[in-house]
Amino acid sequence: MPVAELNPKVETANPKSAEIVVAVRGLTKVFTDFWTRPKARAVDNVDFEVRRGEVFGLLGPNGSGKSTTVKLILGLLNPTRGHIQVFGHSPHHVRTKERIGYLPEESYLYRYLNSRETLDFFGNLFQLSKSERQNRAAQLLEMVGLGKTQTRPVGEFSKGMQRRIGLAQALINDPDLVILDEPTAGLDPIGCREVKDLIIALARRGKTVILSSHLLSDVEDVCDRVVIYYGGKIQAAGTLKELLSEPDTLRITTPVLPRPTLERVLEIIRKDAANGEVRVDNPTQNLESYFLAVVEKARQAAHETSGAQSGARVAAYLRGGVEEPAAGEKMLERLSLPQSARETVAPVAPAAPSEPRVDEKKLEALGKPEPVVTPQKEPEQKPADLSQANDKLSSLLGDKK
Amino acid sequence: MQKILAITWLTWKAALRFRLFAVVGALLVLAVVGLPLIVKDDGTPRGFAQIILTYTLSAVTVLLGFSTLWISCGALARDIEECQIQVVATKPVARWQIWLGKWLGIASLNAVLLVLAGACIYGLLVWRAAKLPLMERAQLRQELLVARGSAREADNSAAINAETEQLLQNRLKSNPGIAADLNEVRKQIREQVASDFQLVPPGYVRQWNINLGTDVGSLRNQPLQLRVKFESADHNPNGTYVGLWEIGNPDSTNYAALPPMSLAPDTFHEFEIPPNLYSDKGVLSIVFVNQNNVSLLFPLEDGMEVLYPQGSFTANFIRALGIIFCWLVLLSAIGLMSASFLSFPVAAFFSITLLITAFSTNTLAETVDLGTVTTGSTPAPGTRSITDTVFIPIFKGMLDVLNLVEKFSPIDALSTGRSVPAGELAAAFGQIVVLFGGAFAAIGIYLFSRRELAAAQNQ
Repeated sequence: MPVAELNPKVETANPKSAEIVVAVRGLTKVFTDFWTRPKARAVDNVDFEVRRGEVFGLLGPNGSGKSTTVKLILGLLNPTRGHIQVFGHSPHHVRTKERIGYLPEESYLYRYLNSRETLDFFGNLFQLSKSERQNRAAQLLEMVGLGKTQTRPVGEFSKGMQRRIGLAQALINDPDLVILDEPTAGLDPIGCREVKDLIIALARRGKTVILSSHLLSDVEDVCDRVVIYYGGKIQAAGTLKELLSEPDTLRITTPVLPRPTLERVLEIIRKDAANGEVRVDNPTQNLESYFLAVVEKARQAAHETSGAQSGARVAAYLRGGVEEPAAGEKMLERLSLPQSARETVAPVAPAAPSEPRVDEKKLEALGKPEPVVTPQKEPEQKPADLSQANDKLSSLLGDKK
Repeated sequence: MQKILAITWLTWKAALRFRLFAVVGALLVLAVVGLPLIVKDDGTPRGFAQIILTYTLSAVTVLLGFSTLWISCGALARDIEECQIQVVATKPVARWQIWLGKWLGIASLNAVLLVLAGACIYGLLVWRAAKLPLMERAQLRQELLVARGSAREADNSAAINAETEQLLQNRLKSNPGIAADLNEVRKQIREQVASDFQLVPPGYVRQWNINLGTDVGSLRNQPLQLRVKFESADHNPNGTYVGLWEIGNPDSTNYAALPPMSLAPDTFHEFEIPPNLYSDKGVLSIVFVNQNNVSLLFPLEDGMEVLYPQGSFTANFIRALGIIFCWLVLLSAIGLMSASFLSFPVAAFFSITLLITAFSTNTLAETVDLGTVTTGSTPAPGTRSITDTVFIPIFKGMLDVLNLVEKFSPIDALSTGRSVPAGELAAAFGQIVVLFGGAFAAIGIYLFSRRELAAAQNQ
């Protein structure tokens, strides 16, 4: 059991920065009926802190209190008990909201506005100049893949397209704190990956991201720390490494080895480990990576689509004036998380084999020199490239703020 | 201001994209053009002009009034129910800015619609007037398409009250038993005394001395109009009564005796009198000689009025629209206030109920006058029920407050060619928009600021 799980109150400091962006203490929210009789206890005595530069995950099943917590942080609900501070102020402090971007769980946008008008309207609320609004709107629409549907009312958009314009409005002010409630809901796998890439790029610039989701893969791919909600309470909390690593298990990944070499290695290992505890198989990439590779191939073959397009580069003002990696290098970016982020990412195991014991036939197959054919190698399986990737990204994105 | 204007712009966008603006605009134009075709006038130029001004302007006011309540309730309540407000409220915009932005948006929307409807009414009026013969056109411009000031006899209430009290004391001395029903006795005596001020018996005269006030300097050589109304208790088969009018001081050159006129009772009559008949102090004396064999009664409120030219019809028309606009601004504040704490249908119901209650001032006035809400007659002193003790002062307060809003009557003024002074417009703005609109806005903003905007989806 992870150590942090014993104490659900998250106190782990982000080594990147000591600045507390969001502090939640003893937060409780009880919904009442018209006669103020308690109806539901949505959040129950919750404590956590989010520090600058973190990607912080609120994980939990539907109705567990994640979205209520987000709305309490944003001042859309008032706590029954407890205390919340955002950048050292009350959630109702208007000036503080200049530093916040919020994507709600549904795309609560004005259906009669088109995407450009939507961004222009929200830009006005941040008192951006006309030229700045136009500039940012153009970049954001390109970024979220809606550059060619600027004049269509948002009400005519598909759910995925609405999520994209919702994400764009959340970033119009280049926020220091981005709160994303189920950001990948309704998005296709390409959109999901782009959102995750964006979150990583934001974190790299020192932005703080709070991600609320019930999709485990979203949280696992991008979050530094998570809290897991159930029944309005935090059931587990900590870094992903703390929560997911298995300290009594070891994995060695190598290129395909000749059978005699493999036999020798196994023989050595079996001296210290029982046969049933040793496992040998081919690592597999996850479905998301495979899917993205197929789509990339199709795109290169210039297939037309009438829907949302794959997003382009992260908007220049969100990159802080430095270049971002090319699309093909986004994979590398995921591998080259900042030092602290890398430390927190748990060693994600490839798909577990159905047979835990050493299968002689499989062993024979593995000993053959032909590698398994895959469209693209899973970069996560190549930790040897980390330092190169880091160097490359440092030059592309610049140092974090 | 940029934030407030952004919310205002959003309100406009909603009205345009949901075709609200187009639908209400079309209905207004239909009312302006259609009503004069449906409602028949008496065939005189004055009649058709009054129809256009009274019916169409009233229809426009009612139509815009209800649409304003509807739009203002929806503008806020629907944003909350459909959760868009959750995105807006997480931006650096204060709740009061959202509220004021919506208010400004609806007010500006109303302003444009009112100008549109007003322009149609004005155009129709001018177009119809241009087709009249020269004489009729001149008469119309003199009596209706003009802004006329009004002067009446000084208020006689003090004299009537004093005489009433004196008579009451005399009665009490002679008949101490009536003290049990003092209010009723006082009321009857007052009516009797007031009738003495109004009644002109056969062969008698009634003289009015009307001070024309500060406007007298501008009235030199200007023709004046008398607007009179009288009642008769007896039925005259001819339907008319002969009256002799003498204007000015008979001992001076400022004097004119008008030829005898045959006038119908229970209706207003306007006739021109020669200019410059008032005294150096600006007091115009009017004498009526009753040559009939029945008594005639000139009501104190509207029995005798002197009308004189004060300004142009166009400016007057604009000022009248200004007062209507003030009412619409108040209605939008009421709608937004309701939507600040209620759901859309409940807010709409609440606002319309409030409006209907406000229109029921006649019932309120009768109740207050009667002094009871439980019985049909005035209770005797010392027998007032607890219900009356509580509700009558509340109703009286409500009536006083409502009168501050309802005392303005721009449509009546326009349809009788009377001036809507700039001071009245300023008073309307101060009382209706600033005082009442401001009070509703303050309550609405307070409630909206306290409201949990994400609670709607949890209910």
